[in-house]
Amino acid sequence: MNSGPAISIDTGWMLGMLQASDSLYPTGSYAHSFGLEGMIDAGAVRDRATLRTFLLNSVLPSLRNIDLPLAAHAWRAFGARDWHAVGEICALASALRAPRELRSAAEAIGRQRAELLANVHEAELAREFLRRIKEANWPHCTAVSAALEARVHGAPLAGVIAAVCYAAIASVIAAATKLLRLGQNAAQGLLTEMVVLCPEMVGPACELPLAEIGWFNPWLDAASARHETANARLFIS
Amino acid sequence: MNALDGHLHLRAVRASDGSTGLSAQSFRAPFHLSKPNWDPDAQVLHVQVVNPTAGILEGDRLESSITVEKGAALLVTTPSASRLFRMTEGGHATGRQHFEVAPGASLEVFPEPIVPHRGSSYFQETTIEAAEGSNLLFIDQLMPGRLAHGEAWVWDRLVLGLTVRRSGELILRERFDQSGASLRALAEFAGTGAGSCFANIVLLPAADDVSPSWQAEVIGLHRDGVWLGVSRLRTIGWSIRIVAPDPIRLRDTLANLRSTLRLSYPRLGCGLRRP
Repeated sequence: MNSGPAISIDTGWMLGMLQASDSLYPTGSYAHSFGLEGMIDAGAVRDRATLRTFLLNSVLPSLRNIDLPLAAHAWRAFGARDWHAVGEICALASALRAPRELRSAAEAIGRQRAELLANVHEAELAREFLRRIKEANWPHCTAVSAALEARVHGAPLAGVIAAVCYAAIASVIAAATKLLRLGQNAAQGLLTEMVVLCPEMVGPACELPLAEIGWFNPWLDAASARHETANARLFIS
Repeated sequence: MNALDGHLHLRAVRASDGSTGLSAQSFRAPFHLSKPNWDPDAQVLHVQVVNPTAGILEGDRLESSITVEKGAALLVTTPSASRLFRMTEGGHATGRQHFEVAPGASLEVFPEPIVPHRGSSYFQETTIEAAEGSNLLFIDQLMPGRLAHGEAWVWDRLVLGLTVRRSGELILRERFDQSGASLRALAEFAGTGAGSCFANIVLLPAADDVSPSWQAEVIGLHRDGVWLGVSRLRTIGWSIRIVAPDPIRLRDTLANLRSTLRLSYPRLGCGLRRP
Protein backbone atom coordinates (compact mmCIF):
# COMPACT_ATOMS: atom_id res chain seq x y z
CA MET A 1 0.00 0.00 0.00
CA ASN A 2 1.39 3.41 -0.99
CA SER A 3 1.34 5.76 1.98
CA GLY A 4 3.26 8.53 0.22
CA PRO A 5 1.81 11.98 -0.48
CA ALA A 6 -0.78 12.14 -3.22
CA ILE A 7 1.03 15.14 -4.73
CA SER A 8 4.79 15.11 -5.03
CA ILE A 9 6.57 18.16 -3.69
CA ASP A 10 8.45 18.24 -7.02
CA THR A 11 5.23 19.02 -8.83
CA GLY A 12 4.00 21.57 -6.32
CA TRP A 13 4.96 24.34 -8.74
CA MET A 14 2.40 22.96 -11.15
CA LEU A 15 -0.45 23.85 -8.84
CA GLY A 16 0.65 27.45 -8.74
CA MET A 17 0.97 27.62 -12.50
CA LEU A 18 -2.40 25.92 -12.97
CA GLN A 19 -3.99 28.46 -10.67
CA ALA A 20 -2.43 31.32 -12.63
CA SER A 21 -3.73 29.85 -15.90
CA ASP A 22 -7.24 29.18 -14.63
CA SER A 23 -10.14 31.31 -15.79
CA LEU A 24 -11.03 31.80 -12.09
CA TYR A 25 -7.77 33.70 -11.61
CA PRO A 26 -8.69 37.39 -12.04
CA THR A 27 -6.09 38.49 -14.58
CA GLY A 28 -8.60 40.35 -16.74
CA SER A 29 -7.62 38.47 -19.89
CA TYR A 30 -11.27 37.56 -20.50
CA ALA A 31 -11.81 41.17 -21.59
CA HIS A 32 -9.27 40.95 -24.44
CA SER A 33 -9.29 39.23 -27.81
CA PHE A 34 -5.63 40.11 -28.52
CA GLY A 35 -6.34 41.36 -32.03
CA LEU A 36 -8.87 38.69 -33.00
CA GLU A 37 -11.87 41.03 -32.95
CA GLY A 38 -10.05 43.41 -35.28
CA MET A 39 -9.24 40.58 -37.69
CA ILE A 40 -12.89 39.49 -37.59
CA ASP A 41 -13.99 43.06 -38.32
CA ALA A 42 -11.57 43.10 -41.25
CA GLY A 43 -13.18 39.93 -42.61
CA ALA A 44 -10.04 37.80 -42.38
CA VAL A 45 -11.35 35.53 -39.61
CA ARG A 46 -14.90 34.32 -40.28
CA ASP A 47 -15.31 30.75 -39.04
CA ARG A 48 -13.53 27.80 -37.50
CA ALA A 49 -11.31 27.23 -40.54
CA THR A 50 -10.08 30.82 -40.73
CA LEU A 51 -9.69 30.95 -36.95
CA ARG A 52 -7.47 27.87 -37.22
CA THR A 53 -5.36 29.62 -39.87
CA PHE A 54 -5.15 32.72 -37.68
CA LEU A 55 -3.89 30.62 -34.79
CA LEU A 56 -1.36 28.84 -36.97
CA ASN A 57 0.05 31.75 -38.93
CA SER A 58 -0.37 34.57 -36.44
CA VAL A 59 -0.80 33.51 -32.80
CA LEU A 60 1.80 30.72 -32.77
CA PRO A 61 4.52 32.70 -34.62
CA SER A 62 3.95 35.63 -32.28
CA LEU A 63 4.36 33.31 -29.31
CA ARG A 64 7.45 31.68 -30.78
CA ASN A 65 9.16 34.94 -31.70
CA ILE A 66 8.01 37.33 -28.96
CA ASP A 67 6.28 36.04 -25.84
CA LEU A 68 8.10 32.77 -25.27
CA PRO A 69 11.64 34.17 -25.68
CA LEU A 70 10.69 37.16 -23.52
CA ALA A 71 9.45 34.79 -20.82
CA ALA A 72 12.60 32.68 -21.09
CA HIS A 73 14.88 35.70 -20.73
CA ALA A 74 12.83 37.03 -17.83
CA TRP A 75 12.86 33.65 -16.08
CA ARG A 76 16.65 33.61 -16.24
CA ALA A 77 16.90 37.25 -15.13
CA PHE A 78 14.64 36.68 -12.11
CA GLY A 79 16.67 33.59 -11.25
CA ALA A 80 19.85 35.64 -11.20
CA ARG A 81 18.12 38.62 -9.51
CA ASP A 82 19.46 40.61 -12.44
CA TRP A 83 17.13 43.59 -12.11
CA HIS A 84 18.86 45.56 -14.83
CA ALA A 85 18.07 42.75 -17.27
CA VAL A 86 14.49 42.54 -15.97
CA GLY A 87 14.03 46.25 -16.68
CA GLU A 88 15.45 45.89 -20.19
CA ILE A 89 13.11 42.99 -20.92
CA CYS A 90 10.09 44.96 -19.67
CA ALA A 91 10.98 47.91 -21.91
CA LEU A 92 11.62 45.66 -24.89
CA ALA A 93 8.34 43.82 -24.37
CA SER A 94 6.45 47.10 -24.50
CA ALA A 95 8.41 48.46 -27.49
CA LEU A 96 7.79 45.27 -29.47
CA ARG A 97 4.08 45.99 -29.64
CA ALA A 98 3.46 48.99 -31.84
CA PRO A 99 -0.37 48.84 -31.68
CA ARG A 100 -1.48 50.50 -28.47
CA GLU A 101 -4.26 48.02 -27.69
CA LEU A 102 -2.00 44.98 -27.88
CA ARG A 103 0.59 46.77 -25.75
CA SER A 104 -1.97 47.91 -23.20
CA ALA A 105 -3.46 44.42 -22.95
CA ALA A 106 -0.05 42.91 -22.16
CA GLU A 107 0.67 45.66 -19.65
CA ALA A 108 -2.68 45.47 -17.86
CA ILE A 109 -2.66 41.69 -17.54
CA GLY A 110 1.01 41.68 -16.58
CA ARG A 111 0.38 44.22 -13.84
CA GLN A 112 -2.57 42.31 -12.46
CA ARG A 113 -0.66 39.03 -12.38
CA ALA A 114 2.31 40.58 -10.61
CA GLU A 115 0.05 42.23 -8.04
CA LEU A 116 -1.81 38.98 -7.43
CA LEU A 117 1.48 37.27 -6.75
CA ALA A 118 2.43 39.92 -4.26
CA ASN A 119 -0.94 40.23 -2.56
CA VAL A 120 -2.51 36.78 -2.76
CA HIS A 121 0.60 34.64 -2.65
CA GLU A 122 2.50 37.17 -0.54
CA ALA A 123 5.58 36.45 -2.63
CA GLU A 124 8.61 38.51 -1.61
CA LEU A 125 10.09 38.32 -5.12
CA ALA A 126 6.90 39.79 -6.54
CA ARG A 127 6.93 42.59 -3.99
CA GLU A 128 10.52 43.37 -4.87
CA PHE A 129 9.60 43.39 -8.58
CA LEU A 130 6.66 45.72 -7.98
CA ARG A 131 8.81 48.07 -5.93
CA ARG A 132 11.47 48.23 -8.64
CA ILE A 133 9.02 48.53 -11.52
CA LYS A 134 7.40 51.49 -9.78
CA GLU A 135 10.68 53.18 -8.98
CA ALA A 136 12.11 52.78 -12.46
CA ASN A 137 8.79 53.22 -14.28
CA TRP A 138 9.23 50.03 -16.27
CA PRO A 139 6.18 48.87 -18.22
CA HIS A 140 4.46 45.69 -17.12
CA CYS A 141 4.27 42.72 -19.46
CA THR A 142 2.41 39.40 -19.41
CA ALA A 143 5.43 37.31 -20.36
CA VAL A 144 7.57 38.86 -17.61
CA SER A 145 4.85 38.30 -15.02
CA ALA A 146 4.51 34.69 -16.15
CA ALA A 147 8.24 34.25 -15.57
CA LEU A 148 7.84 35.86 -12.16
CA GLU A 149 5.03 33.41 -11.32
CA ALA A 150 7.26 30.54 -12.38
CA ARG A 151 10.08 31.72 -10.12
CA VAL A 152 7.72 32.25 -7.19
CA HIS A 153 6.23 28.77 -7.60
CA GLY A 154 9.58 27.15 -8.35
CA ALA A 155 8.65 26.13 -11.88
CA PRO A 156 11.28 25.12 -14.40
CA LEU A 157 11.74 27.06 -17.66
CA ALA A 158 9.64 24.50 -19.51
CA GLY A 159 6.85 25.17 -17.03
CA VAL A 160 6.67 28.89 -17.75
CA ILE A 161 6.89 28.28 -21.50
CA ALA A 162 4.02 25.81 -21.35
CA ALA A 163 1.94 28.18 -19.21
CA VAL A 164 2.48 31.12 -21.59
CA CYS A 165 1.59 28.98 -24.60
CA TYR A 166 -1.56 27.64 -23.05
CA ALA A 167 -2.79 30.96 -21.70
CA ALA A 168 -2.22 32.80 -24.98
CA ILE A 169 -3.91 30.21 -27.17
CA ALA A 170 -6.78 29.56 -24.76
CA SER A 171 -7.45 33.30 -24.38
CA VAL A 172 -7.82 33.81 -28.14
CA ILE A 173 -10.03 30.76 -28.50
CA ALA A 174 -12.14 31.82 -25.54
CA ALA A 175 -12.67 35.20 -27.20
CA ALA A 176 -13.50 33.43 -30.46
CA THR A 177 -16.35 31.53 -28.81
CA LYS A 178 -17.99 34.90 -28.12
CA LEU A 179 -17.26 36.39 -31.54
CA LEU A 180 -17.86 33.48 -33.91
CA ARG A 181 -20.26 30.58 -34.22
CA LEU A 182 -17.89 28.22 -32.51
CA GLY A 183 -19.09 25.49 -30.18
CA GLN A 184 -17.29 24.27 -27.08
CA ASN A 185 -16.20 21.02 -28.69
CA ALA A 186 -14.84 22.81 -31.73
CA ALA A 187 -13.00 25.23 -29.43
CA GLN A 188 -11.46 22.37 -27.48
CA GLY A 189 -10.52 20.64 -30.72
CA LEU A 190 -8.63 23.72 -31.87
CA LEU A 191 -7.00 24.16 -28.47
CA THR A 192 -5.85 20.55 -28.53
CA GLU A 193 -4.44 20.90 -32.03
CA MET A 194 -2.52 24.07 -31.16
CA VAL A 195 -1.21 22.87 -27.80
CA VAL A 196 0.24 19.79 -29.47
CA LEU A 197 2.38 22.11 -31.61
CA CYS A 198 3.81 23.97 -28.63
CA PRO A 199 6.62 21.61 -27.55
CA GLU A 200 8.49 22.09 -30.81
CA MET A 201 8.53 25.86 -30.21
CA VAL A 202 10.16 25.58 -26.79
CA GLY A 203 13.77 24.94 -27.83
CA PRO A 204 14.08 27.71 -30.43
CA ALA A 205 12.19 30.18 -28.25
CA CYS A 206 14.40 29.56 -25.23
CA GLU A 207 17.55 30.07 -27.28
CA LEU A 208 16.53 33.21 -29.15
CA PRO A 209 18.81 36.16 -28.28
CA LEU A 210 17.15 39.36 -27.09
CA ALA A 211 18.26 41.19 -30.24
CA GLU A 212 16.43 38.67 -32.41
CA ILE A 213 13.08 38.83 -30.63
CA GLY A 214 10.26 40.20 -32.75
CA TRP A 215 7.76 39.32 -35.42
CA PHE A 216 5.94 41.22 -38.10
CA ASN A 217 2.31 40.98 -39.11
CA PRO A 218 1.18 44.28 -40.64
CA TRP A 219 -2.39 43.06 -41.15
CA LEU A 220 -2.81 42.23 -37.47
CA ASP A 221 -1.21 45.53 -36.47
CA ALA A 222 -3.45 47.52 -38.82
CA ALA A 223 -6.57 45.65 -37.69
CA SER A 224 -5.67 46.16 -34.04
CA ALA A 225 -5.06 49.86 -34.63
CA ARG A 226 -8.44 50.18 -36.33
CA HIS A 227 -10.10 48.34 -33.46
CA GLU A 228 -9.07 51.25 -31.20
CA THR A 229 -11.55 53.52 -32.95
CA ALA A 230 -14.20 50.96 -33.94
CA ASN A 231 -17.77 52.10 -33.42
CA ALA A 232 -18.75 48.87 -31.71
CA ARG A 233 -16.63 46.29 -30.01
CA LEU A 234 -16.97 43.53 -27.48
CA PHE A 235 -13.37 43.35 -26.29
CA ILE A 236 -10.87 45.93 -25.06
CA SER A 237 -8.27 44.66 -27.54
CA MET B 1 31.79 38.35 -57.63
CA ASN B 2 33.06 41.65 -56.23
CA ALA B 3 31.04 42.53 -53.15
CA LEU B 4 30.81 46.18 -52.25
CA ASP B 5 31.66 47.62 -48.87
CA GLY B 6 29.81 50.89 -49.10
CA HIS B 7 29.29 53.68 -46.66
CA LEU B 8 27.45 56.97 -46.44
CA HIS B 9 27.99 59.49 -43.68
CA LEU B 10 26.16 62.81 -43.64
CA ARG B 11 25.90 65.59 -41.11
CA ALA B 12 23.32 68.31 -41.64
CA VAL B 13 23.71 71.61 -39.78
CA ARG B 14 21.79 74.84 -39.55
CA ALA B 15 23.61 77.71 -41.24
CA SER B 16 23.69 81.28 -39.96
CA ASP B 17 21.04 82.32 -42.51
CA GLY B 18 18.65 79.68 -41.19
CA SER B 19 19.10 77.27 -44.08
CA THR B 20 20.45 73.74 -43.72
CA GLY B 21 23.73 72.60 -45.22
CA LEU B 22 25.93 69.52 -45.08
CA SER B 23 28.93 70.10 -42.85
CA ALA B 24 30.30 66.65 -43.54
CA GLN B 25 29.71 64.07 -46.20
CA SER B 26 31.49 60.89 -47.08
CA PHE B 27 30.36 58.05 -49.31
CA ARG B 28 31.67 55.07 -51.17
CA ALA B 29 30.01 52.89 -53.81
CA PRO B 30 27.34 51.76 -54.13
CA PHE B 31 26.31 54.98 -52.39
CA HIS B 32 26.41 58.19 -54.31
CA LEU B 33 24.93 61.54 -53.37
CA SER B 34 23.23 63.88 -55.79
CA LYS B 35 23.65 67.61 -55.32
CA PRO B 36 21.63 68.70 -52.25
CA ASN B 37 18.71 71.00 -52.91
CA TRP B 38 17.46 73.63 -50.46
CA ASP B 39 13.69 74.12 -50.51
CA PRO B 40 13.17 77.68 -49.23
CA ASP B 41 9.40 77.25 -48.86
CA ALA B 42 9.49 74.12 -46.75
CA GLN B 43 12.81 75.15 -45.19
CA VAL B 44 14.25 71.68 -45.81
CA LEU B 45 17.43 70.42 -47.43
CA HIS B 46 16.69 67.54 -49.78
CA VAL B 47 19.37 64.96 -50.48
CA GLN B 48 18.95 62.02 -52.81
CA VAL B 49 21.00 58.93 -52.13
CA VAL B 50 21.69 57.22 -55.43
CA ASN B 51 22.79 53.67 -56.00
CA PRO B 52 24.32 53.75 -59.50
CA THR B 53 24.76 49.96 -59.52
CA ALA B 54 21.92 47.68 -60.56
CA GLY B 55 21.08 46.81 -56.97
CA ILE B 56 22.28 44.92 -53.92
CA LEU B 57 24.23 41.75 -54.52
CA GLU B 58 25.45 38.90 -52.35
CA GLY B 59 28.17 39.93 -49.93
CA ASP B 60 27.45 43.64 -50.20
CA ARG B 61 27.82 45.46 -46.90
CA LEU B 62 26.16 48.84 -46.71
CA GLU B 63 26.51 51.22 -43.83
CA SER B 64 24.98 54.66 -43.52
CA SER B 65 24.93 57.21 -40.74
CA ILE B 66 22.98 60.44 -40.99
CA THR B 67 22.98 63.10 -38.29
CA VAL B 68 20.78 66.17 -38.25
CA GLU B 69 22.08 68.82 -35.89
CA LYS B 70 20.04 71.27 -33.83
CA GLY B 71 17.71 73.42 -35.92
CA ALA B 72 18.56 71.73 -39.23
CA ALA B 73 15.97 70.04 -41.48
CA LEU B 74 16.74 67.22 -43.88
CA LEU B 75 14.77 65.07 -46.31
CA VAL B 76 16.46 61.89 -47.52
CA THR B 77 15.08 60.07 -50.54
CA THR B 78 16.26 57.63 -53.17
CA PRO B 79 15.37 57.97 -56.85
CA SER B 80 14.71 54.28 -57.43
CA ALA B 81 13.86 51.04 -55.66
CA SER B 82 16.50 49.01 -53.82
CA ARG B 83 16.63 45.75 -55.72
CA LEU B 84 17.92 42.69 -53.91
CA PHE B 85 19.30 40.21 -56.41
CA ARG B 86 19.41 36.43 -56.27
CA MET B 87 22.07 35.10 -53.93
CA THR B 88 23.59 31.67 -53.50
CA GLU B 89 22.28 29.43 -50.76
CA GLY B 90 23.48 30.75 -47.42
CA GLY B 91 24.78 33.96 -48.98
CA HIS B 92 23.31 37.32 -48.11
CA ALA B 93 23.86 41.07 -48.11
CA THR B 94 23.76 43.32 -45.06
CA GLY B 95 22.80 46.91 -44.40
CA ARG B 96 23.12 49.04 -41.29
CA GLN B 97 21.61 52.49 -41.14
CA HIS B 98 21.70 54.91 -38.26
CA PHE B 99 19.85 58.21 -37.92
CA GLU B 100 20.30 60.84 -35.22
CA VAL B 101 18.04 63.84 -34.85
CA ALA B 102 19.01 66.61 -32.42
CA PRO B 103 16.62 68.86 -30.47
CA GLY B 104 14.83 71.27 -32.78
CA ALA B 105 15.95 69.30 -35.85
CA SER B 106 13.75 67.61 -38.44
CA LEU B 107 14.43 64.49 -40.45
CA GLU B 108 12.27 62.80 -43.03
CA VAL B 109 13.48 59.51 -44.50
CA PHE B 110 11.41 58.39 -47.46
CA PRO B 111 13.31 55.98 -49.70
CA GLU B 112 11.79 54.06 -52.59
CA PRO B 113 10.78 50.49 -51.71
CA ILE B 114 12.87 47.41 -51.23
CA VAL B 115 12.21 44.90 -54.03
CA PRO B 116 13.51 41.44 -53.14
CA HIS B 117 14.10 39.20 -56.16
CA ARG B 118 13.91 35.43 -56.28
CA GLY B 119 16.44 33.77 -54.00
CA SER B 120 17.63 36.95 -52.29
CA SER B 121 18.59 37.23 -48.62
CA TYR B 122 19.11 40.55 -46.91
CA PHE B 123 19.75 41.60 -43.32
CA GLN B 124 19.11 45.25 -42.52
CA GLU B 125 19.27 46.92 -39.13
CA THR B 126 18.03 50.47 -38.66
CA THR B 127 18.50 52.52 -35.51
CA ILE B 128 16.98 55.92 -34.88
CA GLU B 129 17.98 58.18 -32.00
CA ALA B 130 15.59 61.11 -31.77
CA ALA B 131 16.18 63.79 -29.17
CA GLU B 132 13.36 65.44 -27.28
CA GLY B 133 11.99 68.30 -29.35
CA SER B 134 13.00 66.75 -32.67
CA ASN B 135 10.74 65.84 -35.59
CA LEU B 136 10.99 62.55 -37.42
CA LEU B 137 9.06 60.88 -40.22
CA PHE B 138 10.48 57.53 -41.24
CA ILE B 139 8.91 55.54 -44.05
CA ASP B 140 9.96 52.04 -45.10
CA GLN B 141 8.36 50.28 -48.05
CA LEU B 142 8.48 46.67 -49.15
CA MET B 143 7.31 45.15 -52.42
CA PRO B 144 6.59 41.43 -52.69
CA GLY B 145 8.95 41.12 -55.66
CA ARG B 146 9.18 41.96 -59.34
CA LEU B 147 5.47 42.13 -59.96
CA ALA B 148 5.90 43.23 -63.59
CA HIS B 149 7.67 39.91 -64.20
CA GLY B 150 5.04 37.93 -62.35
CA GLU B 151 7.51 37.26 -59.56
CA ALA B 152 6.36 37.67 -55.97
CA TRP B 153 7.14 36.24 -52.53
CA VAL B 154 10.10 34.19 -53.73
CA TRP B 155 12.89 35.73 -51.73
CA ASP B 156 14.67 33.42 -49.30
CA ARG B 157 15.03 35.52 -46.17
CA LEU B 158 14.51 39.13 -45.30
CA VAL B 159 15.46 40.46 -41.88
CA LEU B 160 14.55 44.07 -41.24
CA GLY B 161 15.22 45.35 -37.74
CA LEU B 162 14.13 48.75 -36.51
CA THR B 163 14.98 50.31 -33.17
CA VAL B 164 13.67 53.76 -32.27
CA ARG B 165 14.74 55.65 -29.17
CA ARG B 166 13.49 58.99 -28.02
CA SER B 167 15.74 60.82 -25.55
CA GLY B 168 17.49 57.50 -25.06
CA GLU B 169 14.32 55.60 -24.15
CA LEU B 170 13.34 52.64 -26.29
CA ILE B 171 9.93 53.34 -27.78
CA LEU B 172 9.78 50.92 -30.69
CA ARG B 173 11.52 47.71 -31.61
CA GLU B 174 10.51 45.74 -34.66
CA ARG B 175 12.01 42.72 -36.27
CA PHE B 176 10.75 41.40 -39.53
CA ASP B 177 12.36 38.02 -40.22
CA GLN B 178 10.41 36.20 -42.84
CA SER B 179 10.67 34.21 -46.00
CA GLY B 180 8.64 35.23 -49.00
CA ALA B 181 6.51 32.12 -48.56
CA SER B 182 5.55 32.96 -44.98
CA LEU B 183 4.53 36.49 -45.87
CA ARG B 184 2.59 35.25 -48.90
CA ALA B 185 0.63 32.98 -46.55
CA LEU B 186 -0.31 35.99 -44.42
CA ALA B 187 -1.31 38.01 -47.51
CA GLU B 188 -3.50 35.20 -48.80
CA PHE B 189 -5.11 34.81 -45.41
CA ALA B 190 -5.88 38.52 -45.11
CA GLY B 191 -7.16 38.60 -48.67
CA THR B 192 -5.08 41.55 -49.82
CA GLY B 193 -3.80 39.60 -52.80
CA ALA B 194 -0.61 38.45 -54.45
CA GLY B 195 0.59 41.98 -55.05
CA SER B 196 0.37 43.15 -51.44
CA CYS B 197 2.84 45.96 -50.69
CA PHE B 198 3.72 47.40 -47.31
CA ALA B 199 4.68 50.67 -45.77
CA ASN B 200 5.82 51.01 -42.20
CA ILE B 201 5.75 54.57 -40.92
CA VAL B 202 7.06 56.06 -37.69
CA LEU B 203 6.09 59.62 -36.86
CA LEU B 204 7.72 61.34 -33.90
CA PRO B 205 6.60 64.95 -33.60
CA ALA B 206 8.49 67.48 -31.50
CA ALA B 207 5.49 68.12 -29.28
CA ASP B 208 3.28 65.38 -27.93
CA ASP B 209 -0.34 65.37 -29.06
CA VAL B 210 -2.55 62.44 -28.10
CA SER B 211 -5.32 63.51 -30.45
CA PRO B 212 -3.73 65.17 -33.49
CA SER B 213 -5.86 66.94 -36.07
CA TRP B 214 -4.62 64.69 -38.88
CA GLN B 215 -5.66 61.44 -37.22
CA ALA B 216 -9.22 61.08 -38.51
CA GLU B 217 -8.27 61.94 -42.08
CA VAL B 218 -5.38 59.49 -42.09
CA ILE B 219 -7.58 56.74 -40.64
CA GLY B 220 -9.95 57.48 -43.53
CA LEU B 221 -7.27 56.38 -46.00
CA HIS B 222 -8.25 52.82 -45.08
CA ARG B 223 -10.32 52.20 -48.23
CA ASP B 224 -10.33 50.64 -51.68
CA GLY B 225 -8.66 47.47 -50.46
CA VAL B 226 -5.97 49.35 -48.50
CA TRP B 227 -5.46 48.34 -44.87
CA LEU B 228 -4.25 51.25 -42.77
CA GLY B 229 -3.88 51.45 -39.02
CA VAL B 230 -2.74 54.35 -36.85
CA SER B 231 -1.66 53.72 -33.30
CA ARG B 232 0.15 55.63 -30.64
CA LEU B 233 3.60 54.39 -29.66
CA ARG B 234 4.65 54.10 -26.07
CA THR B 235 5.44 57.49 -24.49
CA ILE B 236 5.22 59.55 -27.71
CA GLY B 237 4.74 59.27 -31.45
CA TRP B 238 2.77 57.20 -33.90
CA SER B 239 3.02 53.99 -35.83
CA ILE B 240 1.19 53.84 -39.14
CA ARG B 241 0.94 50.53 -41.00
CA ILE B 242 -0.24 50.28 -44.57
CA VAL B 243 -0.91 47.20 -46.65
CA ALA B 244 -2.04 47.93 -50.19
CA PRO B 245 -3.15 45.45 -52.84
CA ASP B 246 -0.72 46.86 -55.41
CA PRO B 247 2.14 49.36 -55.73
CA ILE B 248 -0.01 52.09 -57.26
CA ARG B 249 -2.46 52.14 -54.36
CA LEU B 250 0.43 52.12 -51.92
CA ARG B 251 2.03 55.07 -53.68
CA ASP B 252 -1.26 56.98 -53.78
CA THR B 253 -1.98 56.28 -50.10
CA LEU B 254 1.47 57.46 -49.09
CA ALA B 255 1.04 60.62 -51.15
CA ASN B 256 -2.30 61.31 -49.46
CA LEU B 257 -0.82 60.56 -46.06
CA ARG B 258 2.06 62.95 -46.59
CA SER B 259 -0.16 65.74 -47.90
CA THR B 260 -2.44 65.33 -44.86
CA LEU B 261 0.44 65.36 -42.41
CA ARG B 262 1.89 68.40 -44.17
CA LEU B 263 -0.91 70.53 -42.74
CA SER B 264 0.37 69.82 -39.25
CA TYR B 265 4.07 69.52 -40.10
CA PRO B 266 4.87 72.08 -42.82
CA ARG B 267 8.34 70.73 -43.48
CA LEU B 268 6.71 67.72 -45.12
CA GLY B 269 5.87 70.17 -47.91
CA CYS B 270 9.30 69.59 -49.41
CA GLY B 271 8.88 67.92 -52.82
CA LEU B 272 10.09 64.35 -53.16
CA ARG B 273 11.21 64.91 -56.74
CA ARG B 274 13.98 67.28 -57.67
CA PRO B 275 12.77 70.55 -59.24
